[in-house]
Amino acid sequence: MSILAIQKLSKTFGGVRALDAIDVSFEAGEITALIGPNGSGKTTLINTVTALFSQESGTIFVHGEERQRIRPHEIVALGMTRTFQSMRLIEQISVLDNMFLALTERGPFRALIEQRNASHEKHAEEILKKIGLWEKRHAHAEKLSYGQRKLLEIGRALAVDARVYFFDEPFAGLFREMRAIISDILRELRANGAAVILVEHDMALVRGLADTCYVLDSGKVIAHGTVEEVLQKENVIEAYLGK
Amino acid sequence: MAIAVQIAFNAIVAGAMYALVALGFNLIYSTARFFDVGYAALAVASAYAVLYFYKTLGLPLVVSIPLGIIIAALLGLIIEKIIYRPLRARKASGTVLLVSSIGVLTVVQALIAIVFTSEFQSLSRDIGSTRVFQFFGGAITETQLIIIAAAFAVMIALGLTLRYSYFGKAIRAIADDEEVARIVGIPSERLIGIVFFLGTAIGAIAGIAIGFDSGIQPTAGLALLLGGIIAAIIGGIGNVWGGVLGAFVLAIVENVGVWLISGQWKAAIAFSVLILFLIFRPKGLLQK
Amino acid sequence: MDYFIHVAILASIWGILALSLELVVGETGLVSLAHAAFFGIGAYATAILLKIGLNFFFAAPLAMAVVAAVALAIGLVLSRFKGDIYMLASLGFTSIVYSIFLNWQSVTNGPLGLPAIPRASLFGFSFSTIMSYFVLVIIMLALVYAFCRWLTRSSFGRVLHAIREDEEATSIFGYRTTHYKLLVFVIAAMLAALAGGLYASYISFIDPSSFMVAASIFVLATIILGGLGNVRGAILGAFILIMFPEALRFVGFPADIAAQSRQLVYGLVLILLMLFRPQGIWGTFRL
Repeated sequence: MSILAIQKLSKTFGGVRALDAIDVSFEAGEITALIGPNGSGKTTLINTVTALFSQESGTIFVHGEERQRIRPHEIVALGMTRTFQSMRLIEQISVLDNMFLALTERGPFRALIEQRNASHEKHAEEILKKIGLWEKRHAHAEKLSYGQRKLLEIGRALAVDARVYFFDEPFAGLFREMRAIISDILRELRANGAAVILVEHDMALVRGLADTCYVLDSGKVIAHGTVEEVLQKENVIEAYLGK
Repeated sequence: MAIAVQIAFNAIVAGAMYALVALGFNLIYSTARFFDVGYAALAVASAYAVLYFYKTLGLPLVVSIPLGIIIAALLGLIIEKIIYRPLRARKASGTVLLVSSIGVLTVVQALIAIVFTSEFQSLSRDIGSTRVFQFFGGAITETQLIIIAAAFAVMIALGLTLRYSYFGKAIRAIADDEEVARIVGIPSERLIGIVFFLGTAIGAIAGIAIGFDSGIQPTAGLALLLGGIIAAIIGGIGNVWGGVLGAFVLAIVENVGVWLISGQWKAAIAFSVLILFLIFRPKGLLQK
Repeated sequence: MDYFIHVAILASIWGILALSLELVVGETGLVSLAHAAFFGIGAYATAILLKIGLNFFFAAPLAMAVVAAVALAIGLVLSRFKGDIYMLASLGFTSIVYSIFLNWQSVTNGPLGLPAIPRASLFGFSFSTIMSYFVLVIIMLALVYAFCRWLTRSSFGRVLHAIREDEEATSIFGYRTTHYKLLVFVIAAMLAALAGGLYASYISFIDPSSFMVAASIFVLATIILGGLGNVRGAILGAFILIMFPEALRFVGFPADIAAQSRQLVYGLVLILLMLFRPQGIWGTFRL
């Protein structure tokens, strides 16, 4: 049974069908790539599944159970988390504090009485060391370089310890070393049984990482299979090159 | 029946004044994109200027009123140039602009109070001598009729300008998208300055009108402003004519409410209307 | 000397008020002008309870509870709005509450105000001397300051800072941001009520004119001056804006002009800060 299955999901914005009755499913222990030309609906799909946009029609199944309409703050409890293409870090607080946001008490009253928590600090330290940001842990996020911010965005998602991860263009604009670090992280998540969904434009990366792949165009799925399979399909080539 | 007519008359007069304030406020908001609360203080300042020229210096109305309006409008222009323009050039947030306009409101009100004292004053030279007309059982004074006529004249003039003149079209372009307007060659900075001049002038007319109708105090700025803002929000922020519609809606609700409950609660009624609209119809009656 | 302590007492009371607004504006980014309303309700409620004989240290907490309920209702309505509309709506609430102070004559005595409010007392000791009241107020200020510091350092405080910057992204990580905003709003309102109670018991006479929108604007000016996002900044701003104009009196301004001159100064402070130093003196957060 898929860890996350989406049936006939639609989403319209002012007359434009950003998602048109989409059917996709994601498996635990697999890296699934979402590819397609710009505007094909990849980010809209992520936004809708992570409840940033409201579902218009269609059903989302988590572990086979139908998921009722939820609000954004509820996706963590469902074991889901995501990164943002445009990196939405909290700029005016430290790297460490950004990490803690993913770790500390969620309920307001409990958060009020929580000051320092050793286990959270250890957890944050582990991840920060893995992504190489431990030395910069007290720096404000706005002081980091582009690559470091991308890493922090990912580190924050890791701290959630989810079962389903959506990474929206995590490699964009990064040098080779950083790309290698992130690739290793994604592989590790897969090895631990999480479902990793990756939106990415770099085909070489996608080839090296993804087990399976969905190609989107104008809100529809036009191909599904391994990366090699879909890249040879005519309609996929047409979608990228234009008709 | 007579009561209904009286309420209607009161509502029309009040609505006309709120409409003017809302018009100026919306003009400024749709081009400069922030809530300028200082603007109403200038409207009151103009009333005090007229007070000075008309009652203290004894100049005739035909001179005092235009002088008062121009002085306020010039102040509006100057304030735009030295405070709001630099902030906007820095891409300051709407909140920063709003806070600075709160500062302007406070400063102008305080200056007025220092120079003219906080006493309630009327602009009319001889109160009680204005003619009163009776229609259908409701009373309306000559002053009020003039106010209504002036307000509608301004609205018509503004409407024609916005629709047919180059200036009006340019303003609408800026309201739509300032970047694009500038690319197309519209001198947005200069035009926004003119918008502040005009908007303040329109508000000044409302301030002077109140000064003649019932009288003014330095703090009247806030009351006038809030009426205008509420009218603008009810009508749909940024929609110039929405503000006019909202103004009359507000005036009717206020006057009916005051008749039902009591004159003391006027402000509370006005704000309750605002809150209700914000909850149930936040985009206002007319969209942008 | 007595006069100096009097000013210090006022500065401390406004310091508590500033701290309470700082929680909402500086820490959470909600520009609220509703604080004059909570200050006023706290003052009136405490005054009424004191006048019927209740001890201050029961009256003030009761008043705070009343304000908490009101703040919950107002906060719920306000939570539907964002940014500038939020500010305008909060201004609306302050005006409505002021209208109630003015018109609900049977309870508040309307524009005539409530006279003869007793001083606080504890176990028979009355804080009737100016020095003793100063000690009381300073202790309260210290307690409120300690509480605010503790709050801003907790996980709750961190979430507030995150909400301040990007509410949506924060919610993705599992936080019901509306609950957080509501909770901080209510806590802040209760602290404002405490300031109101201390004020009423000190001045011994209150009337609606102290609780108009201008009061909210004044508190906002103090925390913007001191610097948003910094708890100490709130106290600094309050002390500067209370003490500095008092100096004007020594320069020889006549009384009525002095009041207006103070307003003039507050307005100028806001304008100059926005133009030249939006983060204030010690601020860590820019509007």
